[in-house]
Parts: sequence; structure tokens; C-alpha cells
Amino acid sequence: MRVLIVEDDSSLSRSLVAEFEARGFKVLSAPDGREGQYLATEYPVDLAIIDLGLPEVSGIELIESLRAASKDYPILVLTARDRWQDKVEALKIGADDYVTKPFHVEELIARADALLRRAGGWAQSELVCGPITLDTRSQSVRLEGQQVELTSFEYRLLEYLMLHAGEVCSKTQITEALYDQDFERDSNVIEVFIGRLRRKLDPDSAHKPIETLRGRGYRMVLPRGAPEAR
Amino acid sequence: MSLQSLRARVLLWVSVALIVLFAITIVGLAVIFQRSSELALRDALQVQLLGLIAAAEESEDGELSLPDDPGLDLSLTVPESGVYGVIWDADGVPIWRSASWVGREWFVTQWPIPGERIYLTVDEEGLLELEALLMGIRWDFHDGSSLPYTFGIALAREPYLAREAAFRRNLIGWFAVVTVTMLIVLTIVLRYALKPLRRLVHEVGEIETGRRQVVTERLPSELTGLAHNLNFLIDSERRRSVRYRNTLDDLAHSLKTPLASIRVLLTDRGVDDEAKMRALDREVSRMDQRIGYQLRRARATGGTGLGLAPVALGPIVEDIVGTLDKVYRDKQVSCELDIEAGARYQGDPGDLNEILGNLIENAYKYCRKRVLVEVKSSVERVEIVIHDDGPGLPEDAEEAVIERGARADESIPGEGIGLAVVAETAELYQGSVRLGTSPLGGTAVGVILPRRGYRLKK
Repeated sequence: MRVLIVEDDSSLSRSLVAEFEARGFKVLSAPDGREGQYLATEYPVDLAIIDLGLPEVSGIELIESLRAASKDYPILVLTARDRWQDKVEALKIGADDYVTKPFHVEELIARADALLRRAGGWAQSELVCGPITLDTRSQSVRLEGQQVELTSFEYRLLEYLMLHAGEVCSKTQITEALYDQDFERDSNVIEVFIGRLRRKLDPDSAHKPIETLRGRGYRMVLPRGAPEAR
Repeated sequence: MSLQSLRARVLLWVSVALIVLFAITIVGLAVIFQRSSELALRDALQVQLLGLIAAAEESEDGELSLPDDPGLDLSLTVPESGVYGVIWDADGVPIWRSASWVGREWFVTQWPIPGERIYLTVDEEGLLELEALLMGIRWDFHDGSSLPYTFGIALAREPYLAREAAFRRNLIGWFAVVTVTMLIVLTIVLRYALKPLRRLVHEVGEIETGRRQVVTERLPSELTGLAHNLNFLIDSERRRSVRYRNTLDDLAHSLKTPLASIRVLLTDRGVDDEAKMRALDREVSRMDQRIGYQLRRARATGGTGLGLAPVALGPIVEDIVGTLDKVYRDKQVSCELDIEAGARYQGDPGDLNEILGNLIENAYKYCRKRVLVEVKSSVERVEIVIHDDGPGLPEDAEEAVIERGARADESIPGEGIGLAVVAETAELYQGSVRLGTSPLGGTAVGVILPRRGYRLKK
């Protein structure tokens, strides 16, 4: 998942970038509204975290320009102002959520996860596809109730596929979402990780959760939701 | 008396108005008087001329003449009386002159044809100015012949001019007297009428020096509004400055304890880093909460500004609900609005946003699925009730949240801050907050905001 962070306070911005990267996000960061605008339009972004009090171009103007340019990914607003009129204004012009400063990083990441989940059409923090359950809050995966150990990259890959369950995800899309922008793209790496996920999630080849569409990409084929009512 | 003074302004403009008005009146009256005096002069000329014509008769030698005692106006017989008569024959030779006509020639330049009348002014250097009437007459003699004659009457203008001048002088004199009298009366009236204003100024001065708390509101009806608003401003200003001072005191006080904890923590060798981090985070949260609470309290204006327009509550509620629907999308809250059409309240938009935002957000946070926002409006007050179907508040919540919130030093649980701020903001509008159980099963929070000039019944 690629996150754009536009925050002018350099130490806060540095910490946020580190925290998000540690959780497997790919992060683009900008110290002002103008650069934020540039990154937001030049790179594929899944979520933008925007501080309202920015130099050059204000947070409000940035959000307005993104929405005007038909960028429809979720936008989370950071603000030191906790007046209701400010919150209402930010959400009215197109932001999806707000977090007031000071905040706990966990809180911010949970909100970011929730927005990404919603953007993928999931209402709950637990993503369930057949026997696979992915909990975005604890970042854990269970297979038929049993904990499955995944590396951070495997987890992000599975999360991406499950968020887009039923859709075809091309290798380029996946690489862009999971790697840094300057990473030398090698599609074989994705293939290797898909192979590992299949072994961990379907050791007996009973469910065949991830389908390979030759030349087009991969698809999570298990239907959204549990197989039977719990 | 400078022009900054109301009295000076009124007197100046009334004087200007009176002078202009009287000047127009004087000119008008003088013109009318002059016209009528001119008409009177012409009438007098006519009468004299007709008298002269009537007195003329044919003499025994068949010529036109006046008898020895023609029975004419006496002034024609007195020299230099100011009334003169002449009769000329067809050649312009005077055949008769009145006895009053002494030492003066009348050079006629334009002769009337028989039957014609000519009015003219005879103005010769060094002599009396005359107003004259010439009339041409064709006289029929007994022998059947007839000859043209010209009859002339002249009257001195001087008495008429003198009368006009006297009239104008009188007129100006009287009007001057009236003007001065009116201005004197006006000065006295203004002195009396402006007395309450002077008293008001005096009282405001006393308030400034601390010798008085409020302005007396027993004033003429034009000033009671002003006095009332002044008292309102003074009162809210006083309350605001008290509130700022208290907020700063409270803020300083409530920050110093966590700061002290942090300082002790930093030098405490008996605590491991993990525990220190946790403690530090706890103290930072405490400070954040207190700063947030105190600043939100201080920000509430209580609608002290006098120029506040009534704010429509419907759109504010809709905006807030729209915002919360986005933020709490996962929860799929069903929020119903029951807002009286056109409900308005004369308060600060920021305050109303805080009251409604905090209450509706609490409801979204604690509800299971349903929230109901009711706004009722009457002449005396606006009542806002927010219902939810959540677990409800514990019994002592009202005391815990609202009462304790008013005392800054106590720590308030996170969810209580919003409610405490709402309660304090409502109080600034002389309003109140009540907690109860909602028919939906959860909490019902009601805020009553009385309108200006109305107080809540305790």
C-alpha cells in the first residue's frame, strides 16, 4: 500500500514515515502542499495523510485540488485545530477522516487501515475470505481459526489481494503498491512470494485461494465473507 | 461648543434652516407687497385721471379748458404736493397745468393715440421720481368738430417706496425676533432633553472608575435599548475577563502536575525505560487532555458580541451529521433529524458548532445503531436533545461530568470533556444541560438555550 504523507513538521514527518514503513507501507512524503500536490498527481497513491496547516498550498487547497483532479483515494486529515467548524470543512471538501494532534501512532495507523479497507469495499476490520481471516488491527492471519505466521511482506501482499478480492491485480499494480518507487522491479519476486503464500495458506491445495491469470496478474478467488454463518 | 456636541449640531442646523426659511418668506412677502403697492399707485393714477377728464369742459370760445374752480383733488392745487396734472393739445402744447406743478417741465417722448393709456416712470436728475399715466382723448365739441388731447397725471413714487422699505424693515425685524426666540427655546429644550444622555455618560464614567457596576436602565424609551446593551456588554466583558483569568490559572495549575511527574520520571533511576515510556505517554495524554479542555472552554464566547446574526441550526446539524457519517462509516449509524423548520439561535456560530458537534459525536460514539437529533424552537428558547440507543450513562454521570467539568483541576475522562465543554458553553448563554434516559434506550442529552432577554426558570 502506498501512502502519501504531507506534513511540514520535519520531526513528526520523519517519525510517521518510519512508523508506516515499519508496518510494510510504502511511503511518499512531502514537506509542503506544493510538493504534496506534485507527488499526489505523479505517483499512484492508495491513501493520503494531509496536515491542514501546510506552507505554500494549504491542506484544504491540496485536498480540493486532488478531488478536483478526480483522485478518489481516501484522504486522512491531520490537524492541530480541534474546532468543529474546521473538521466539518475538511470533510465537506472531500477528506474522509480526521485525527487531531497530538495523536498516538497506533490510532493513526488504525484509521489509515480502516480507510484502506473501506476503499476496498470492506466494512469490518477483519477481512474474511472463506477460511482465511486477516485482522488489520492486530495484523494477524488465521486459517480456519489457526494462526498463520507470515513475514511483513507476505502479510502486505495478502492484505492487498484480499482488499481487492475478486479483482485482477497486475504484477505492476502489486509492485507499485508494495515497493518503494525506486525499487528495481522484478516480477519474479512477486511470483516467489505468491508461491510462498499459497504454500502457507493452502498446504493441501484444497481451496486454491490465489488464481494466476497468465499475462494479467493474480486474483483472490475466495468469496468475501465466511463460508458459513458464525 | 464644538460640532462634536449634539446640542451644537441641532442649534446650527435649526438656525440655518430658520434663516433660509425666513429669507425665502421675507423675499416673497416683499415682492407681494411691492406688487400690491404698484397696483394701488396705478389705481390712484386712474382715479386722478378720470377726475381730471370729468372736470374738463368746452369753454365759451369753443376750446377745451378747466373751469376756475374745477372741484379737483386738493393736492393738485398745492404746489409740490406730489400729485400733478397736465393737459396737452394735439401739438403737444400744454393747455392746462395743475397748480402743484411748479418749476418743472414734463417732456413727453411718446404720445398716446386717443383711447390709449400709457404708464411710465418719470425720473429726472435731481427731481422727484414720478409714476405717470398718459391718456389720449378725442374731444367732441358742440359744433360737431373734434380734436385730440392728451391728459396726464403724475404721482410722486417716494411715499410708496418709503412704505415698502418700512414694510421690509418690519418684516426682517420680526423674523429676527422669532428666530432668536426659537433658538433660545430650543436651547432650553435640548438642555432638558439631553439630560438623560449626560447622566448615561456620567454613569459610564463611574463604571470606568469602578464606582458603579451597571448603568441605570430607567431612561427615556429611546435610550433603554442602549443602556440594556451597554449593561449586557459590560457584564459579558466582566465575565469573559474572569473566565480568561480562571482559564489561565487552571491551565497553569493543571499542566504543572504532569510536568512535575515528567521531571521526576526523567531522573528516576529505579524505573526501566519501558516503564518510563509508558509513564511519559500517560503524562503527555493528561497534558493534552487538559490543554484541550481548557482551550475549548476559553474559546467559547457565550455570544458576547452584539452584532450576532441569528444562526440557522438545521444546516449546522446536517454538516456535523454528514461529517460523522463519514468518520463512523463502519458503524452504519442511522441518524434521524427532527429539527423545527427555520430554527435559529442568536449565538456565536463557533459555540453552536461546538455544542452540537460534541453532543452528536458522543451519540455516534456510544450508540449501537441509532441516533436522534431533536431541535425545538420557541419564543423564549431553543431546546436541543440528542438521543442514542447505546448503553446509557451511569447514575452519577451528571454530577461526574457536568459538575466536575466546571472545576478544572479534576481529571475528566476523555468522553466527559466534550460534555463538560458543552455544559460550560451553555452556561455562558444562561442555558443548561440535562442528562437522562432516551426512549431509544440509551442516553438523552438535552441543552436548553434561552433567547436573549429570557431566563430559564430554575
